[in-house]
Order: sequence, then structure tokens, then C-alpha cells
Amino acid sequence: MSEADLIRSARFRKEREAGWQRLEALVARAERDGLQRMEFAEARDLAALYRQASTSLAIAREISLDKGLLNYLEALTARAYLSVYAPQERLGGLFRKFFTQGAPQAMRRSWLFIAIGFLCMGMGVLAGYQLYLENPSWYHVFLPPELADGRGPSSTTEELRRVIYDEDPSASGLGAFATTLFSHNTRIAIFVFGLGVFLCAPAILLTFYNGLVLGAFYALHAERGLGADLGGWLSIHGVTEISAICIACGGGLQLGAAVLFPGDRTRRRALYHAGRDAAKLALVAAVMLVAAALLEGVGRQLVQDMVARYALGWGIGLCWLAWFTLGGRTRP
Amino acid sequence: MKLRWRKNSRATPPAGELVPPEGVPLKLEVAGLGVRLAAQITDVILTLVAAVCLLILVASLGFSAPETLMAIGSLMFFIIRVPYYVLAELAWNGQTVGKRLMKIKVISHDGKSLSTHALVLRNLMKEAEIFLPATLLLTLDAATPLASGLALGWIAAGLMVPLCNRYRQRLGDLMAGTHVIHQPVPVLLQDLAGNPAPRTSRKEGFVFLAHQLDHYGAFELQTLETLLRAQEASAERGRDLKQGATIEAVVEKIRQKIGYANKVPAAQRLEFLRAFYNAQRAHLEQRQLFGEKRKDKHYTAKDAPS
Repeated sequence: MSEADLIRSARFRKEREAGWQRLEALVARAERDGLQRMEFAEARDLAALYRQASTSLAIAREISLDKGLLNYLEALTARAYLSVYAPQERLGGLFRKFFTQGAPQAMRRSWLFIAIGFLCMGMGVLAGYQLYLENPSWYHVFLPPELADGRGPSSTTEELRRVIYDEDPSASGLGAFATTLFSHNTRIAIFVFGLGVFLCAPAILLTFYNGLVLGAFYALHAERGLGADLGGWLSIHGVTEISAICIACGGGLQLGAAVLFPGDRTRRRALYHAGRDAAKLALVAAVMLVAAALLEGVGRQLVQDMVARYALGWGIGLCWLAWFTLGGRTRP
Repeated sequence: MKLRWRKNSRATPPAGELVPPEGVPLKLEVAGLGVRLAAQITDVILTLVAAVCLLILVASLGFSAPETLMAIGSLMFFIIRVPYYVLAELAWNGQTVGKRLMKIKVISHDGKSLSTHALVLRNLMKEAEIFLPATLLLTLDAATPLASGLALGWIAAGLMVPLCNRYRQRLGDLMAGTHVIHQPVPVLLQDLAGNPAPRTSRKEGFVFLAHQLDHYGAFELQTLETLLRAQEASAERGRDLKQGATIEAVVEKIRQKIGYANKVPAAQRLEFLRAFYNAQRAHLEQRQLFGEKRKDKHYTAKDAPS
């Protein structure tokens, strides 16, 4: 039987079949071993054959009614497409790029949302402080008992002082690190970010509430003349940790704002665009929370002097600020 | 501000179609929630086992007091889980171990390659969408009705998102611009027209005239193709598919429809169908080249582009 006996689409297939089968073998290899481990000639053939196959698919859709062939080409081209357009980045480069460029640039781009985050927290602190001074029983409304740790308006000044300058820490090392990382504040940060998508309100409320807790807590100590001591106790990790919550809140707000005010885009597109920076803010907040947990779990027990605590806490805060404002600037 | 329902006037492509940079649209079937849940459970079990192993190691080395063991355990689970998803999907081009088992894959919605950013984002959102509500669900109690209600509402909202869009994207997918597909499997079947049944001689073959081939369209042709392939597959496996009656009915129906006068002997029925398939396909493909696409037998001359 000669070639001419065949109908056009069967001839079309006969001429190209060998190339498709080679492509199939190459795709299987690329999926098993990865493109990086293939030889130059193989990788080049993979790309070239993939483009030929997608042309074949386009032609076959027009000229062939063979369903078996169409399904095969469809699947083969899709499979080849997936392995040709695989991500080709190296992990080391990713981390460097994130810390030197991506993160600080994203922080600067979304400064407004972060400012709103800090504003929510600040308002909360102010409100909590004022409310406590007006009536100390607000303290029990704001602070859940497990967070208050037995401290309250009824405890004596000496008790409060003992918690701040704790000479005998109960847990230390890894245990302390883990417990503090999974303490109240980390949970708040995750909630604040994750709930931001749901129209901003939960993120704002939670941040404000966190501020209320902080304000009432501070007012309790300030009333007994322990304000400065508490400031030292808090700032050693709090500068980092509270900033992290505010940044997470900024990220959440960015997502919520995209859903609320998508502008000319569809909501889906707006969310997609907002996600680029919001994810980086979340990662920055995570890094800061880990740092804060280290400081709280280790640093707070080691450093007992008030001035040193202030210096350490705010010094680290300045380092963060320098990273955000100076990092990743490109020279004009 | 005008508040009105925005109607999407643009025709949306059917779900499961993706346009790669080459511009030839590909069909990639969107994976359902069941399959994705199965993959997710596999991954959770894997990471949980790894976390427990690490925890036992830490505990046996005496680094921890018993009362902080729970906190350390959840820390281990967390620090294994988060990088696992991102790194696995980066290294295996959108697949974790669970996804490999279920033969599904994450792809970028816009047809370009998956970016690191997209993978990091969709897996970070997984924390907020799946793991946080799940831990909440485990710690729910009746003493705090407000918190329980909030948690349930959150879980419900998270579940509604993938159910409400065609690509079954969860929130993280929406933000990252990705969706999950079934991995296609290419199987090259024999060309029915490329390898016709051996004929004893030229004149014994079945001959069809042009007007006899004008009755059917592509749909009927491909149905016939399916039937013939099933016959072939059963013959290859050495099992006779008891379809003599079906084949006879098909042959008779076709003969009636196209007005084929000669009787077809029982032994040659399959051969007749193959010959008819070849002739019909050649005819339809030729018509198609001239711009006359016959979708099915209900085609009329009015449908033809003038």
C-alpha cells in the first residue's frame, strides 16, 4: 500500500509521528530528572519539538476528524507545555532577592496600609490607657485571664515588679522559644493577616483590640510608678513584635482594600495584584515574629537592666527601620 | 459612585482552557475538590509523621521540659509544613507528594510558568485558609459561643470560595493566579484509517459514492470510531466482545440511511464498517478543507457559510 492511498490526515500523522514519540520520551525524562540534568541537545529538542507539536495540534484541529489523534496531541502538547514552562529559579537566589530587594521595596510601596495598621494599634493603646484611668475594672474586660498571668488591679506593686525583673525563669531555651512564638501575639498576627481579606473590618478590630490590651496593661503599671520599667520589659521584644502585628495588619488591609475598592479591575484581578505585596508583608512579619520570640525567650531573662533593655529593643527596631527604608534601592 | 451589577460582556473561554505563549489553546481539565482534598490529606499525614519523628528526637535528647512539649510539637509541624509545600511545588513544578499520587498539578492561570511568588502566596494562604480554621475547629467549645460562631463562619466562607468559581480556586489560588488541573496522559492509539483491514482484492472492496457520504457528520464519524476502537481493543486482548447484534444493527442502520443496496455478509460486517469509516472520514475532511464543517447529521445547507 503506497502513501498516496492514505487520506490526507493519515498522511499528516505518518509524517510527524516519529517526532511526537521522541517528544513523549523527552517529556517523560524531563519530568523524572528535571530539565537541569538533561543534556543541551535534549533540552533544545524538547523545546523545538514542543513547538512543532503545538503547531501540529493547531493544524490537526482543522484538518483531522480522528478523535484518537486529537486527544493524543492535546494531552502530549499540554504535558510538554508543563515541562517546558517549569519554574527555573534557584533557591539561594530567591532568598537573597527577597531580603535585599523584594521585601523592603514592598514595604515602601505599601507604607500607607502599614501606617493605618500602626494607627489602629496606637488608637487602641490610647483608648485602653484612658479607659483604665477612668475605671480600673475595664482591665478585666480587655485582658483574658490567661494573658494577664495573675497580674491585675488587685496585685501589689511588689508583685508587678517581680514579674518584670524575673530572676528565676521557669522555662528556658527551646521550650521558652516555642511557647513564646505560639503565644498570643503570633496568633493575633496570623489572624489579622488572614482575616484582612474579609473586607478589612476583622483586621482593624483585632489590631485595635490588641492595642486596648496593651494600653490597659501599661496604665496598670504606670499608675504604680512602674511605667518606665514596664516599657523596658516590653520594648526588648515588643518593638519588633508589635511592629510585626502592625505590618501583618497592613498586609491584611491591602487585601481587604482590593476586595472593597477594586477600581477599574475585576475583584479577582485586584486581589491578584494586591497579593504580590501582601505576601511579602506577611513574610516580613513572620521573620520579625521569629526574631521577637528569640528576644523574648532568651534576651529578656539575660538582660535585666532597664536601660540596656531599652537600648536593645529600640536598637533592633532601628535596624528593622533601616532595612525597610534603605534596602533594595536601585541607583538611578 | 454607580452601584450596578457589572455584566461581563466579554465571552469567557470555557473552563479548563489555557492559552500558552504559543497561542494554541490547550484543554486542561480542572481538578475537583475531592481529589485535592485527598492530596491534601496525604501531605498532612506526611508532614505530621515527620514532625512527630523530629519531636521524638528532640525529646529524647532532653532539650525540653514535658510541659512545653505540645508547643514544641506544633512548632515542629509548622516549620516542616510551610517550607515543604513551597519547596516541593517549586522542585516538582507544581506538585507535592500528595499531588503526584493523585496525578494533579498546579498551573499558572495566565499560561506562563509558575512563579515563586505565586507558589509562596498560595501556600501561605493555605495556612490562613485551611490550617488555622482546622485548629480552631479542634479547639472549639461550647463555653465561647462567639468564637465558635466566628470560626464556623470563617470555615464556611473559606469553603464557599472554591465552590463558587469555575476553576475551583481557593482564595490563595485567586491571589496567586493559579489553579489545579488533572495531569493529561498522552496515549497514541492506532490510526484506523492509516492501517486499513487487508483486502483480498481491489474489486471486492466496498465502494461508496459521494451522495452516500453526505448523510453523516463528525459526531457520527467519531462515534463509529469509538465503536471500532473498542472492537479492536477486545480483539487484541483475545476476548471476543459479544457485540455481534450491535454490529449488525449498526451496519443495517448505515445501509438503510445511505441507501447501500448490496447485502453485507456476516463475516464482512467489520470490514464494511472500516471501509465506510475511511471513506466517510476522507469525505468529511475534504469538505472541511473547503470550509464546510459538518458537526453532525442535522447539518443543512443553510448552516454553510455563504
